Amino acid sequence: MRNLAKKRLNENLKQSVKYLTLVFNDFFILALIFLFGALMFWYAQAMKTMPSNLVFYKPLIAVILWLPLLVGRLVTLIQEADMQFLFTQDENMGQYLRPMFNYSLVVPCILEILLAGIIFPFATIKAGYNAAQYVLIVISMLLIKYGMLEVEQKNLYFGSHVSHLATSIIALVVAFLCIYMPLIGFVFTVLWTVFMEPGFNKKPKIFDWRYAVESEKARKDRIYSIFSMFTDVAEKQVTIKRRKYLDFLLPKSLVKENPNLFLYRRSLLRNPEYLNLFVRMTIFAILISWIVQDTWWALGLSALVIFLTVYQLLPMASEFDSNIMYRVYPIVTEKRSKDLIKVLNLALILQWFLISVFWLIVLPINFNLLIAVAVLFIFTMMTNYGYLPYKVNNKNIR
Amino acid sequence: MSLKIEHLTGGYTGVPVIKDINLKIKPGEALGLIGLNGAGKSTTIKHILGLLRPQKGSISLNDIPLLMRPTEFKKQVAYIPETPVLYPELTLKEHLELTMLSYGLDENKAWNRAHELLKMFRLDDKLDWLPIHFSKGMRQKVMIVSAFLADTSLLVIDEPFTGLDPLAVANLIDLIKEAIKNQKMVLMTTHVLADAQLAISNYAVLNNGTIEIIGDLAEIRSHYGLAPDDPFDKLYLALNREDNGNA
Repeated sequence: MRNLAKKRLNENLKQSVKYLTLVFNDFFILALIFLFGALMFWYAQAMKTMPSNLVFYKPLIAVILWLPLLVGRLVTLIQEADMQFLFTQDENMGQYLRPMFNYSLVVPCILEILLAGIIFPFATIKAGYNAAQYVLIVISMLLIKYGMLEVEQKNLYFGSHVSHLATSIIALVVAFLCIYMPLIGFVFTVLWTVFMEPGFNKKPKIFDWRYAVESEKARKDRIYSIFSMFTDVAEKQVTIKRRKYLDFLLPKSLVKENPNLFLYRRSLLRNPEYLNLFVRMTIFAILISWIVQDTWWALGLSALVIFLTVYQLLPMASEFDSNIMYRVYPIVTEKRSKDLIKVLNLALILQWFLISVFWLIVLPINFNLLIAVAVLFIFTMMTNYGYLPYKVNNKNIR
Repeated sequence: MSLKIEHLTGGYTGVPVIKDINLKIKPGEALGLIGLNGAGKSTTIKHILGLLRPQKGSISLNDIPLLMRPTEFKKQVAYIPETPVLYPELTLKEHLELTMLSYGLDENKAWNRAHELLKMFRLDDKLDWLPIHFSKGMRQKVMIVSAFLADTSLLVIDEPFTGLDPLAVANLIDLIKEAIKNQKMVLMTTHVLADAQLAISNYAVLNNGTIEIIGDLAEIRSHYGLAPDDPFDKLYLALNREDNGNA
């Protein structure tokens, strides 16, 4: 079991590295360096002018040191097939989980130590801790994470499941205890970790396979969602949401519908890949317009965002081709690019409308802004009626 | 007016899985396609549905050739796959609406029929659900309801009984019988002859990609040298022996 765990961890590490190199590409690293530099500069300046020993400093430190504890849940790499093939291994799951547990500690501990290092000057100079106290607090924080993971590990067996929310709140309370009474806090965290040790209570336990599979699936899904903001994630499984509250956007009658229109509409509303993309891009355009505070820059960047939205929605055209029933049904596919344009047109007009409304709120209102709104509308229509059909026909996905 | 498969040879990539298949089903007739796993049953079906391109031969339905007029051909075919295939983003109601749109059915009439079928398979209170989350048997029922709703002249049914509860099996058999009575054509593959023979009397035995015999169960028994009271499992043993003999 130990070997199986190690083999899976290796594969997982390889996969993570693959995606991380894609996420942290040159541009992103550059942007991060600038952001980090700016933040550090601001921090150094603020340190000079900040008064010492204000009341809220200690709670602030507690919260800042608590935040990294929320990152990095227990990695189990348990797969659905394990329910079948490792079914008899309940008693050996402890061995399997040991390396997983250690692996899960790495990322949150690095983050915790990094953040603790960054706020070290603030904690010692402004909040009045001495170095030894601060180190003790940080060690306690690491112990809290250890304890949180132990709770997660215990959750994998039948018995009472403690939710992540409850564990996080308890962790916050303990973090406050550590901040105000470092020594007592430390003793408490040591006791927590010892009592939660699997060896500490020897009751026979049944492994909750279904729960383990579900929570690992959810964990992976969260990781993949983060990766998928930057790159395509092949492993990501799309879970369709019913979203009944959006049904009002669908036509009530079938009279003017055809099968492709019918399918594209529902796909856009219920497939999280498309709807989330749409929402994300719209918010992005609004944020970027607000940051640049210049009508023409906002116009250019928002136009780019609209173009990218259309570009990323292109795969919708052939989305159903892998569905056998789509091909068995007498559905005519020759003119489906027109149907896609019709569906996306509504979405893009909505996007244009939202961006324009926010422009009116966040940008100075003058004649230029009205021109920009009109130009953006023309651009949106050109993208939809010019670029989209060209691309769809070009890809031969008709 | 019939399904005609003439000299059909085909398969996946170059290598023919089925060789020189000839079948004819007339209105009001049903044919069971039987054979061991890998005999070519599903491949034959995929050709009829236009999912594979024939290497040789032709398929036509009511004189409409599949290759020349695919949409017209498909409008006359409804299919129940072996494992349910659904659209994750559509509710049960929308699956039925899509069927109505695709086959160009009259909405009012189709809904009357749909409600009958939904009631029969105890799905009438789940119209607003996403069937992708249903159990295997319930998803299969959605496929059955959609196929019978389409009201086509040919029904292609691939191994329909697995995962269905006995009540649903009985209902499906009744529906097949009713379709035959209404001059529809039915082509069905199955291993569960005990259930199938309640609705279907004629069978084609596929072995190694060729049809060895078409006839009723008595004729098939005598072809393979089985006694009239031998259990049908013996047929499969005989097919297996032949298979090994060829290899």
